[in-house]
Amino acid sequence: MTPDVNANFTVTNRPPGTRGWLLMAPLMAWLIAFVVGPTAIMFVYSFCERDDIGQVIFKFTWENYQRIFVPEYFWIIGKSLVAAAVMIGLLLFGLHADDHLGPALREKTIFSPAGLVVFLASVAGYITMREQVFALTTGGNFLKILFRSIELAGLATVICVVIGYPVAYFIGRASETSRNRLLMLVMIPFWTNFLIRTYAWITILKKEGLLNSALKSSTMHFADALQYVNYHGTLDSLIAWIGGHVLQFETLYTPTAVLIGTVYAYLPFMILPIYGSVEKLDNSLVEAAFDLGASPIRAFSNVIVPLTKPGIIAGLLLVFVPAVGMFAINDIIGGKKDLLIGNVIDQQFKQARNMPFGSALGIILLLLFAVAFFFTLRKEKPE
Amino acid sequence: MLRRTCLKLFVGAVAAMLFAPVARAEDKELNLFAWSEYVPQAVIDGFTKETGIKVNYETYASNEEMLTKLLSGAAQYDLVQPSEYTIEAMVKKDLLSPLDKAKLPNIKNLAPEFTKLGHDPEMKYCVTWMAGTVGIVVNTDKVKDDIKGYKDVFQPKFKGQIIALDDPRELVSWVMNVKGIDINKVDDAALNEVKPVLAEWMKYIKIYDSDSPKDKLEAGDVTLGVVWSGEAAKLYQKDKKFKYVLPVEGTHLFIDSLAIPKGAPHKDNAHLFINYILRPEVSVLISKEFPYTNPNAEARKLLSPEDLANPASYPAGNPKMEIFHDIGKASADIDKLVTDLKSGG
Repeated sequence: MTPDVNANFTVTNRPPGTRGWLLMAPLMAWLIAFVVGPTAIMFVYSFCERDDIGQVIFKFTWENYQRIFVPEYFWIIGKSLVAAAVMIGLLLFGLHADDHLGPALREKTIFSPAGLVVFLASVAGYITMREQVFALTTGGNFLKILFRSIELAGLATVICVVIGYPVAYFIGRASETSRNRLLMLVMIPFWTNFLIRTYAWITILKKEGLLNSALKSSTMHFADALQYVNYHGTLDSLIAWIGGHVLQFETLYTPTAVLIGTVYAYLPFMILPIYGSVEKLDNSLVEAAFDLGASPIRAFSNVIVPLTKPGIIAGLLLVFVPAVGMFAINDIIGGKKDLLIGNVIDQQFKQARNMPFGSALGIILLLLFAVAFFFTLRKEKPE
Repeated sequence: MLRRTCLKLFVGAVAAMLFAPVARAEDKELNLFAWSEYVPQAVIDGFTKETGIKVNYETYASNEEMLTKLLSGAAQYDLVQPSEYTIEAMVKKDLLSPLDKAKLPNIKNLAPEFTKLGHDPEMKYCVTWMAGTVGIVVNTDKVKDDIKGYKDVFQPKFKGQIIALDDPRELVSWVMNVKGIDINKVDDAALNEVKPVLAEWMKYIKIYDSDSPKDKLEAGDVTLGVVWSGEAAKLYQKDKKFKYVLPVEGTHLFIDSLAIPKGAPHKDNAHLFINYILRPEVSVLISKEFPYTNPNAEARKLLSPEDLANPASYPAGNPKMEIFHDIGKASADIDKLVTDLKSGG
């Protein structure tokens, strides 16, 4: 390393001077005006009362938070933590029994036993919690809705990773000209308003919509085509069977429709950050892995995934966080039937005219995200 | 010197651009805040053409939504379109500005039964826009049963075939009608009685929609609906297979009116607009596009016999119906009940 490079290094680490702050000023102003300010208002409102016409009265109350929490929650959370702890204990015991796996526990890949322990423990805790919550007869609606929202967002995020990763990898590894063209294809949906694109799904998914009529006509064409090879009526019964079993879906206004809409809406937000990581991926490292005898699966899990991890994490956050609070897709193609947390908050501000309660829900959601984010960051730090 | 003059001119020009058009346009503007699917574009265009007043038309899907936006003070509305019980609440809270009858000569066109209404007996604050009912639409191609009331609709065999208004007070009032409880006596005892029945009913509902339930009925996604009468009348116009039934258990008669909020910046324009829509030839345009019950006696004379025979617009006989009254804090209890039921999966 030459002294020059060293000097540069220290320069970049210098605390920002006046000029730095000036450059930051627009962003800061934006954050204060549209993030800090509204959040502060929301925080104050969440401790206020409403009058019978829906105006906010500035009188301190815990009522809004009390409506969200029921004492049973503490029990439920306690039991879930115990379940998770027991799971961890059992797994650690089982793994430590085998001496070879000791060092493996400290390995830093997602498919490592350590990752498995954490994953299974979370699953155990989650399942316990879910069962308890849905067994609640009085109260607990907020938790039920929250669970439903998190599950929908989680499932959508997983589907987005599964679909988005190969796409992003393919685009990132493509030649420069085709790469730009492919990226363009990912961006094209943004040229149309998100709501209009969601409305378009109605045309596709409805009972007599594009999907069902396409299925119907293709089945009929297939049956017609079979007539040409129908030698002496041997295929008559088969053709009749096909004609009577046209595959038809009733997807619109069901949770499946909401899931489809969510994956569709947020997929680009998964592809783009992963693409960013894949593009920077040093091919020689992948080749080195193969040269050292790694199988394709091992090269993928131990080299490619860790190197593109920042992109994956950014993608997960960009999809999961907005998907939890999403309500428009449920309104348009979900029939507003199974409420999501976003719907409830939206309703509190519009139809129910209960801004304080809506604010309290918003604050709780914000806190949950803050806690989750804090843990993600802490886990990242040692690297 | 020249430079300074130029600068002055420039500053003056900018100032003129910033302030002058706003000041002038203020006189020629009207901020209308009304229900979605309720004010025909032709009426707005006709009004603008005649008066030169630009109408900013913003929509809402429930009285509650309108109140929220009005009270937030985020926008200055000149004309709102609340239903009877909301008018009552707004008058109680002193949110409406009294009308100047001298500016509304066309008020004489209204049928007498729409001039002395419970929520505003002297027409001090509002003029009726349209009236209507909530009732049942039956797609008779698909549903062969004889549907007479709510009880016939909310049955297990129709699960996943029903569309209902996304309006907590409506939902609760249907059950109250079935149970024979006064729909304006909302208290804990009544809601406790409503809860189990509504919980059962809500399992059968496929879609909640207050904006345009007719689209889903027409597309065949659902075969039964409890919707606004105007939506039903439009369906009937398109296809006679959509039968409109006023529930035997009783129903909600709603009366939507135009009213001017306190502090509206363009009160004169608002009066002009009210007077304009009271003209028979204008009122008939509203009826043609949104076939609710027209309160304008003169306008009804211009309607075709076929329009007047549409059972959803002008129900025959003497059906049991009632208006909603303001129930104050109980509306929050209704909302809580419905939210709880919707989330109790």
